[in-house]
Amino acid sequence: MSTNAETLCLRYQTHARVRTLFLASAIILLIVATTIGLCCGASGMSFWEIVSSLHRDMGRGHSIIWMLRLPRIVMAALVGFGLGLAGVVFQAILRNPLASPFTLGVGSGAGFGAVSVILFWGGGFQTYRVACGAFLFSLVSATVIIAVAKMKRASSETMILTGIALMFLFSSLTSLFQYMGTMEQVHEIVFWFFGSLSKAGWNEIGLAAAMILVPFPILLRRAWDFNLLASGDESALALGVNVNRLRMWAVAAASLVTAGCICFTGVIGFVGLVAPHITRMVIGNDHRFLLPASALVGAVILVTADTLGRTLWAPQVIPIGIVTSFIGVPFFFYLLMKRSREYW
Amino acid sequence: MSNTTNITKPMAGRFSPNLPCDTNLSTHGISARTFWIGWLAVALFLNFWTASAFGASVTIEDARGRKVRLSLPIKTVVALNSDILEILRTLKAEDCVAGVFSEVVREREFWGDLAQRPKVGSWREPNMEAIAALKPDLVIAYSRNPGQLLENKMALFGIQVLRLDFYKVDTLEREVRVMGQLLNREKEAVRFCDWYRRHLGVFREKIARTLRRPAVYIESYTDYHAAGPGSGGDEMCVLAGGSNIAAGLSIPYPRVTPEWVLSRNPEVIIKAAAYGNGYVLRDPAPFNKCRDAILKRPAWHHISAVASGNVHVMDSAIWTGPRAIIGIAHMVRWIHPDLFPDLNPEALHKEYLEAFQGIAYHGVFVSDNIQGGGR
Repeated sequence: MSTNAETLCLRYQTHARVRTLFLASAIILLIVATTIGLCCGASGMSFWEIVSSLHRDMGRGHSIIWMLRLPRIVMAALVGFGLGLAGVVFQAILRNPLASPFTLGVGSGAGFGAVSVILFWGGGFQTYRVACGAFLFSLVSATVIIAVAKMKRASSETMILTGIALMFLFSSLTSLFQYMGTMEQVHEIVFWFFGSLSKAGWNEIGLAAAMILVPFPILLRRAWDFNLLASGDESALALGVNVNRLRMWAVAAASLVTAGCICFTGVIGFVGLVAPHITRMVIGNDHRFLLPASALVGAVILVTADTLGRTLWAPQVIPIGIVTSFIGVPFFFYLLMKRSREYW
Repeated sequence: MSNTTNITKPMAGRFSPNLPCDTNLSTHGISARTFWIGWLAVALFLNFWTASAFGASVTIEDARGRKVRLSLPIKTVVALNSDILEILRTLKAEDCVAGVFSEVVREREFWGDLAQRPKVGSWREPNMEAIAALKPDLVIAYSRNPGQLLENKMALFGIQVLRLDFYKVDTLEREVRVMGQLLNREKEAVRFCDWYRRHLGVFREKIARTLRRPAVYIESYTDYHAAGPGSGGDEMCVLAGGSNIAAGLSIPYPRVTPEWVLSRNPEVIIKAAAYGNGYVLRDPAPFNKCRDAILKRPAWHHISAVASGNVHVMDSAIWTGPRAIIGIAHMVRWIHPDLFPDLNPEALHKEYLEAFQGIAYHGVFVSDNIQGGGR
């Protein structure tokens, strides 16, 4: 082997080690964040009480852990995972660092769907009805993006512009509906837009997990296609990737994941944009690693944010959207300053 | 109010007995008596002329604690929210209402003819142009909503703005008296204040004698938003003899965790709801559904209130506002069932609606009691 080839091989091996190490660290961090989250709460249970409550029915403590804390933490991890994943997919297929479920109008569509249900579909604001509305309209957004892109031959610019237009449309409609709502409805709408994990329960987690985790292996299998897409549509086409079809179903899959994330928790906008960037800065653009790593980083961010949100000002809860911005933005800036070369 | 309201007539003429001593009136053929009568006539004329030309004015302390000078008389008023409109009807001042907030149409049955009056937009963001077109003498709004822009824009049209809340139990009487004075409806204001004070006094007196203050969790319209210090719910809970578990928190409507509520183990849970309008409801089903959802919240079966079924849902109509006393009566019954065995909040509500609002009593305003829970 020539020296150049040896150097390249060595560099690849080092890079592979960094990526594997990053993945392993993300998993460990998620476990640590989950454990800390599980230990924090208003009822002041000791660590050993929590451990014994996990496997033995000890009445009140058992209920607190299994019915209140764990569902919340699991939902945070799931939603963070999904948003991190959807963010990478949207950025990959549109080759745009600003793409995310929310800048593409999918989040606004989901928000509009939830608000419509709150306003027009009976009292009580049942979680499942709101979730159905959010899911339906996130799919409406995705369908419109796909339809417009199909008519205009699926260019990434068209998709982004369509997404931005949809975002403004749904935001305006949501604002209009806020004017029409009663005091109670307006309260519900406003706090739905802050994002909240307080309604997380095992039933909700089951449905959200199906929507978030089922598309994950399918997307991971197409990681090489996403890698090829990064070098441009022509190159990917030349290497046998059906770019249009890839875009269509990737948008649909990422929309499904987004809907699964926000239909039970409201709008948590920051993670889907930043988790992929943080991951990309550290491990690069290989989607075989980027997809799971970004999802894990999203999960860590959201579990940490939730724990901070409910403990920093306890017993009051700081809306999770605010906390994600507070912890994510400084870290994001730090990475931006630290890494001088272009990472995208 | 009597301490802070100060009716002045700034341009009124002044009668002065200190005339120059060397003025020899008789030399001009005018007797001293005629001179004094003349001066008195001039002074009276000036007094009436200036009062009608420039208008009398009154200085009012508004809900923000600011001194506001208003020109009198006030004949037309724009009411920017339901609490103000309800008080205007209490004072039998419906004729003064030139414009109303647009949301009034949601409660046509409750407001009757008042719902037909010209609309001026949302209570939070009214249409300034619509208000200006009505040329009212006064616009009445909450202390915080809409913002200062209302005063700024109305000043351009010479329209006066007064901010009174009418939803706080402690200041309601004072504010009603102010309105009575402004609209020359003092008799009606006194009548209402007497009724209000009499009923509130009965609760206060009995509750002051009891030492037991059961822990109460009061939830606002949105799930897990407690009624903290400074909120209407907290004020009502204290008056009803409860100990609000969120009273020690730092903001009026904090979002709390279900685990925290569980750890505080309240004996009574009361939630505010606004399912359309309680006045037109014939069935408590929406309130009961909301109550049942609270009973089924994960792990809440460990809370005393849930275990005993002492969980109640209350309509926004009697939650703060001029009818807060009805809400307090319900709360008293739930928190201290033994203290007021004969208390009938519905009879109180009927009395209020018929005597002060001039409408028949009907509607549903609270959830049903669970057998064995509350009362």
